[in-house]
Order: sequence, then C-alpha cells, then structure tokens
Amino acid sequence: MSYFLEQVLNGLSYGLVLSLIAAGFAIVFTSTGVLNFAHGSIVLFGAYLVAVLHPTIGFWPALLVGMAGAALVGVLINTLLVRHLADPNPGTAAILMLGVDIVLLTELTRRIGNKVLTLGAPWGADVVRFGDVSLPAGRVVAAGVTVVAFAGLWYLFSRTDLGVGMRAAAADGPTASLMGIRLSRTAATGWALAGVLAAVAGVFLTSFPAPGVAPTVALSAFAAIPAWVLGGFDSVPGAVVGGLLIGLTSALVTGYEGDLSPFLGTGFGEVAPYVVMIVVLLVRPSGLLGSKEAVRV
Amino acid sequence: MKHLPRACALSLAAATALAMAACSTDPGDASSSGGSGDLKTGNGVTDSSINVGVLTDLSGPFAAGAAVQVTEFKAYWDQVNADGGVCDRDVAVDVQDHGYDPQKAVTLYRSMAPDVIALQQVLGGPTSAAVLPLAQQDDVYVGGVGWAGSALQYENNQLPGASYAIQGANAIDYMVDELNVAKGSKVGVVYFAGDYGNDALAGAQHAADERGLEVVAQEITPATTDLSAQASALAQEGVAGVVLGAAPAQLASLAGVLGSQGANVPIVGLNPTFNPSLLTTPAADALLANVYSITAVAPYASDTPAVKTASDLYTKADPQGAIGWEVPLAYVQAELLKQALDGACDSGDLTPAGVVAALRDSSSVDTQGLLPDGLDYSEVGQSPTTSVYVSKVDAQAPAGLKLVDELSGPSAESFSYGS
Repeated sequence: MSYFLEQVLNGLSYGLVLSLIAAGFAIVFTSTGVLNFAHGSIVLFGAYLVAVLHPTIGFWPALLVGMAGAALVGVLINTLLVRHLADPNPGTAAILMLGVDIVLLTELTRRIGNKVLTLGAPWGADVVRFGDVSLPAGRVVAAGVTVVAFAGLWYLFSRTDLGVGMRAAAADGPTASLMGIRLSRTAATGWALAGVLAAVAGVFLTSFPAPGVAPTVALSAFAAIPAWVLGGFDSVPGAVVGGLLIGLTSALVTGYEGDLSPFLGTGFGEVAPYVVMIVVLLVRPSGLLGSKEAVRV
Repeated sequence: MKHLPRACALSLAAATALAMAACSTDPGDASSSGGSGDLKTGNGVTDSSINVGVLTDLSGPFAAGAAVQVTEFKAYWDQVNADGGVCDRDVAVDVQDHGYDPQKAVTLYRSMAPDVIALQQVLGGPTSAAVLPLAQQDDVYVGGVGWAGSALQYENNQLPGASYAIQGANAIDYMVDELNVAKGSKVGVVYFAGDYGNDALAGAQHAADERGLEVVAQEITPATTDLSAQASALAQEGVAGVVLGAAPAQLASLAGVLGSQGANVPIVGLNPTFNPSLLTTPAADALLANVYSITAVAPYASDTPAVKTASDLYTKADPQGAIGWEVPLAYVQAELLKQALDGACDSGDLTPAGVVAALRDSSSVDTQGLLPDGLDYSEVGQSPTTSVYVSKVDAQAPAGLKLVDELSGPSAESFSYGS
C-alpha cells in the first residue's frame, strides 16, 4: 500500500509541475491564439539562467532573474515576431514557433554543452518522509508553489481589470478592442505570465530527482503537451487537471510496469499519457474543460 | 478552439515539404584509380596527401563532446604528419557538421565521398544508420559510429571496442563475480529504446540467463530525466543491482533516487552514461557510493602511456577544453584508421576499397592499451572483442572515473550476435 501511495504522490507532484508548463501553453493560446512550440526552450532558458547565476548572486535572486528573463523572451517573441505576422492564423504562428524553438534550443545546447548544470537549490537532494512514504523535498516545495501560483492566476483572471481584459480579449478580440481593451497589452501580459510559469517549472523540472539543467529538459517539457491538450487548449484549470492526470498516469503505469508488461509490453509508461489524451479527446473533442468552438448553423 | 484543423493542415504540409526536401546526389566514384609507382590510389588520395572525412554533430545535442573529439582528431593527424605522414603523404581531415540530422548526413556524405578515402567518424546512431549502407555500397570505410550491435553487420564499419551487448553482459558478470550479486537475484536494466539500449538489454539478458539472475527491464527515452517511478519500481522488486544503458542525466537521477530510498545497490552504467559534471549535482554522494562505469575505451584516468599521450595532445591543443572519455576515444578512432591506411599502403592498394580490405584482414589489432589488445575485425557481424574496462566513480580521479579492472566475463565470451 505504501508503494502505491508513493507512486501516487510521485505522480501528483510531477503532475503539478507539468500543469505549470501546460498552463503556460494555455495562457499564450488564449491571449494570442498561438500554439507556442517554443515553450519547452523557454522552460530550459529560465532554468539555465538560474543555474549560471546562482554561484554569484545566490539561488533566490537567480530565480527572480530567471523568471524575469523567461518573461522577457516571451514578450520579445510576441512583440518582434508574432505581432508582425502577415497571416495571423495559428498554423503559421505554430511553424514560426517551431523555428524559434530550434534557434533557442541550439544556442542553449551550445552553451550548456554535454554538462549537467546544477541549480544550487536549497532543497538539494533532501527527502521528506511521511511514514513509509518518501518524497523529494523539491517536489513538496513545487506542490506548494504551484498551488499558490494557481491561486494567484485565479485571482488575476477573476478579480483584476487586467485579467478580465485578457479573458475578454481571448473571447472576442475585436469587440474587446472596441471596448477600450488594449490587445497589445493583454497579449504581452499573457506571454510574460507564461514565461514566469515556465521558469518556475524549469527549476522544479531540473531539481532532484532530476539531475540538473541539460538540453534534454526542453524535451521533458513537451511531456506537458498531452496535459495541455486534454485539459482543453484554452483552459488554465484544464491544464491543472490535465497535468495531474498525466503525472498520475505516467507514475502508475511505470511503477506497475512489471504487472502490466505481459499485456502492454515494456516502455508503456512513455506512451500512456498520449493514450489518455486520445481517449479523452474521443469522448470530449474540446478537452476536459476547453471551450467549445461556436458553430454557425 | 481556434482554427485547429487549418493549423494541423499547415503543420502537415510543412512536414511533407521537409520530407520531400530529401535530395539525392550521385554517389561518389569510389572506384576511380590512378597510379603512383606500384601503388594503386583512388578517391581522396594524391601524390602528397590523403583526405579523410568526419561527419559529426557540431550544432546538435552532442555538439560539446563532438568538439572535443574534433580537436583531438586534428591534433592526432598533425602529430602523424609531423612524423612523416601515412604512405609518404600528409593526412588532411575534412570535418562537416550534420547537426544530428540523418538527411543532412546523407547529403554531406554524397558530396564528400568522391574526395575522401575513408570516413573516420559518423557520429550518432540515426545518422550513422543512414550513412553506413550507402558507404558499404561505395566500399568506403566508416569508423566511430558508437557501439551499437546493429552496425556490426556492415563490412566497412570498424567498431572502436566492445559493442553495447558485450558491455551489458560484462556488467552482469562483474556484478556477480565482484559485487556479490547472488544467483537467483533480480537485476534491473534501465535502457533507452533503440539501437543502443536494446543492444545493451540483449547482452544483459543473455548474461542474466547464464548466471541465473532475473532481469527487471525498464524502457525509457532520452526525455525521461526524472526516474523516480522507475527507481521505486526497481526498489519494490528488490533488485540487487542495476545496469544502465542511457545518458548522464538518467544516471544521476536513478542513483540519486535509489540512494534516497536507501536502496544502496550497485549501478553499472555503459560507455556514454557518465560525465564528470554529475559530481557537482545533488546526486554526487550516491554516484560516489554506488556507481561503476563499463567502457569500451580505456578511461581518461588510466595510466596507460597511450592514454597519457592522448590527453597530452588534447591539453596542448586546447588547454581549457573539457576532459572526459571522448579524448582517448577520439585518439583511438584516428589510430584505428591510421592502422587501416598503413595496411592498405603496405598491400599496394591505397583506395577506399583497399582500406576496407585492410580492416577486414586485421585479426589482432593492438592500440597500446587504449582499447583491449587483440581486436579481431576479420569476422563481420561480431564484436571485435569481449573485453571492457571497469571504472568506479571517484572524485579524485581525472574526469571522475578510476580504472579498477579490465574484464572479459564468461557471459560476454559466450554471447554471439545472431544466435
């Protein structure tokens, strides 16, 4: 039983980190309609800044710089590239983002090389024990930070003019613009928010039990894509539910691979998130909490 | 949702366009020959020079390690040229960057083949898998493709030491004979799906069967950098040791999580799994306590004179360069090619086909301790040796690995491809 509980806690805590990344995808999509395939590189960029700066300025200031740096990259991508697209549809923007991802990832790979950079996080490789169950301290902190972050997002989107403006811009851009909402500002805010979430997620994604900052982190971040899609492309709460579901599925399928492999073969833990995503989309094509597209009849 | 079908259509169109961008050029004329006294010459050879090619990854995921190897290659050939060259000719190295892209590797191969006598290295599994069959058709030697057993089927390929299956079998033998893993125990094998990991698993599975152990396999991908679930599952199964056929990020995570759960079992990583920068991560204590590395090439900290020569050449060429197992590996790849070129010269056939023939005539190659002695390349399809080097992670050793043994275990010796 404690083994089952350990895998469940493992999965949920990993899922919360995935949900931070998935929420970044969802916020960019709702604020500018862009499928941001460069998000994995922004996650890596935030973590990279923390890893290279912590020896000189300390972990916490480095984290702040990492969050600001990732936010700035997001805002720059939006200001310099996305806003100037001649053909503002999601397909063109998605391909543009693939290009940005390649450029950013190539440069970060060149800088990191074949090393694994350490973050200098105060929780190190500490482990917290709850009876027979142990969980990395970094994951416990991640869970707490994620809950606070999502509470902040809820407050922003439901209680502040800026957040309500972002929702209005997402729902109907031209009408929101006519009502005095500056779309350029809501878009920049969305990209900046996603960047901040990416940097925070990057730190937790590279903390123990992961080894540190390496180029493969950008790939690991893509594990959040099924969470984003099955939650609904445009839903932050959906991203949270999606992240938890994907984290739990990965942990349990991998943890019980020995029992499942006679039926499913080995390595099913890598595939399971996508199977869950497909099943959910078959039942609910807009994802668990995504808004349905208006259809004219 | 917003216009997703159109987005998908555009993405598909882009993917199709990329796939169709596959351009093929005519294969190099590897059979042309000219005369130079009694010596027959061909592509890449003039009266004063020999051109060898290197297709490597200077802009993709393996750029850093590849740059170390290129520095060492150039230093090696500079030294050879200063000592009189090969067959009275200077050797020039043409280095091209495939960026870990198989299509680009093929295109570069096509353009390079008419001008080189051999390819000293095609770095990367997918890239070398794309180039090897073409080079075999053209009778062009290809070295430095890693240690995947799948490359052994090519007559023109020279593996630098023991294949991954042999490394995996030796890992099990070492655990049983030296690390007190008892008969009847379970051992974990955590591996990348693909030619590397599956080859390692085949060797480990063979050895486990021979030694009366049960394998608990966990398949992962390079994107899996948090091995909590895998480590918990292995601890739950009560494994007495783990063989790892993955990369440094996975080694640190696996060792760290197993250590934090109190599962102090030996972890034996294969050639590419260790990197000295791991000793600065939070997993350092666990790595120092439990991790061994099995390599086909002598580790950087080996006191063999040839390894010392390799490291001296490298530090002279790049005093600030990163050190690691890539340095002796690069040196020995160049050394293997030089021996094949010398063989071709001695037989009077300094052509691409002559180099391949010289390679396959070699049944007892020695590299002054950089690789195990007596490498046998006469049998296509089998690993050239069953010996490997065993090192222990050690913070005091240069590049973090201290050589503890050279091993050819009984299961490694009984392993055979295709059986």
